[in-house]
Amino acid sequence: MSAWFVENGMLLGLATLDGVSSAASVFMVAVGLNLVFGVLRVLNVAHGSLYAIGGYAAASTSLFLLARGMPAWAALPLLLVSSAIVGGILGPPIERLLRLMQGQEEVLQLLVTFALFMILEDGQKLVWGVRPVVSDAPVKVLGTIEVPFGSDAIPFTAYQLLVLPGVALLTLAVLAFVLRRTLFGRMIVAVTVDREAARAMGIDAGRVTLLTFSAGAALAALGGALASPTTSLVPGIGASTIVLSFAVVATAGLGQIEGAALSAFMIGLGRSLAVYFAPELEVVVPYLIMVAVLLVRPQGLFGTLEARRI
Amino acid sequence: MLRLEGACADIAGVRVLREVSFSVPPGGRVALVGRNGAGKTTTLRALMGLVPLCAGSVAIDGQECGRLPAHGRARLGVGYAPEERKLFGSFTVRDNMLLPAEVLGLPKRESLRRLDAVFELLPELRDLAPRKAAGLSGGQGKMVALGRAMMVGTRAILLDEPLQGLAPALALRYVEALGRLRSALPDVAILVTESSPALLRRLVDTTFVIERGEISAA
Repeated sequence: MSAWFVENGMLLGLATLDGVSSAASVFMVAVGLNLVFGVLRVLNVAHGSLYAIGGYAAASTSLFLLARGMPAWAALPLLLVSSAIVGGILGPPIERLLRLMQGQEEVLQLLVTFALFMILEDGQKLVWGVRPVVSDAPVKVLGTIEVPFGSDAIPFTAYQLLVLPGVALLTLAVLAFVLRRTLFGRMIVAVTVDREAARAMGIDAGRVTLLTFSAGAALAALGGALASPTTSLVPGIGASTIVLSFAVVATAGLGQIEGAALSAFMIGLGRSLAVYFAPELEVVVPYLIMVAVLLVRPQGLFGTLEARRI
Repeated sequence: MLRLEGACADIAGVRVLREVSFSVPPGGRVALVGRNGAGKTTTLRALMGLVPLCAGSVAIDGQECGRLPAHGRARLGVGYAPEERKLFGSFTVRDNMLLPAEVLGLPKRESLRRLDAVFELLPELRDLAPRKAAGLSGGQGKMVALGRAMMVGTRAILLDEPLQGLAPALALRYVEALGRLRSALPDVAILVTESSPALLRRLVDTTFVIERGEISAA
């Protein structure tokens, strides 16, 4: 066993790092999907497009500005700024459209949001083309950190080691704080639990939904922006991300913020371990984890069953 | 205080209210009595703006509410306790009660003063205050919903079948609490729905009967 560890330690370390960084960006998407489903009760397939567009927007603005003399370090805060802009611009019109789907049949909701997803995907191809876009300035500017491992040392990029998990944990903490400790958070919870009761309490449910949706959209865009420096952006990343974040949300249980973080970590780690040790299983591992969890706990790891009415 | 004029409402294509007209004066105590499905809940929801009217009008405090969304009506001083209680389970009882006051942007001191005033009238809520709403019994939940409606119901309080499903002893306690309300809040209009009028008889001064969405004075 220990001999195996020494032999494969380097790989294990790299796999863990990859797992953590992909978990971080999938978490951002999944947590936004969760919030949006909560207030809107529409499962938004087009949420994945926001991830893709967030990634493309961050990469292309950073390439554009770097070519015009922006200092390299500024590529980091630019990830945040461009995501907020994507969420702010695309969030409201999409929310307006999806609001029409509220209370409609679920099949119809899925079809409409899927159609929207395809429209956005084609829009994204029109703007950014189909050739890979690469912008790794944020990774380069932070350099690498050598983590000692036995007699060896593994070079990790500081971006993947610190920035990605750091931003994800910060997002988790901010969301938990807002939802539990602030009035606006209580309003989001109230609208999620019972829209009509919330409105009768004087809560402007439409406004809460719009703001929550835009925040969720910005989180998805930030997920894409954060992932963009470590990967090359190609058509189709939106689709693979939304499917993966569905798996995360289903594994955690709907409405679970901390649960989504943990299940994103499990799934991200499972997937990257597969990449290194059993590459042929990479695609299926997230869903194997999901199926295994749902077989035992159909409500998800942290979900609660609906309280039985007395 | 509250006035419905020729109100019609459809739910899923079925007419549920047919030209409902009645009013509750300031300080009035009115019961709306009818069988299940007669339109009692829909009448209250129409007053709150939670179902759209296809004809007729709603006025609160003399103000026409045709286009006023539900959240604006709470702002006019109308507190509403829905039949299903609809408490927010992950919040404490205290937070449930404070929520509408905070949403309306009342100063903290005023919210706490009102909370205290509610505790005076419904003392059992003081003990329940720190508990999570999800763990309450049906009767306790109804009492909390009443307290929550009182937090913002400075002009009118709407109670939807508050006695429904309560054990007789609890129902009596609830009726006693309503009796205290009657003397403590003389200016607040109270509209209660119920399927059997017996329990409310000594609490209300007017009873309307609703039958298949149509109203008749009893």
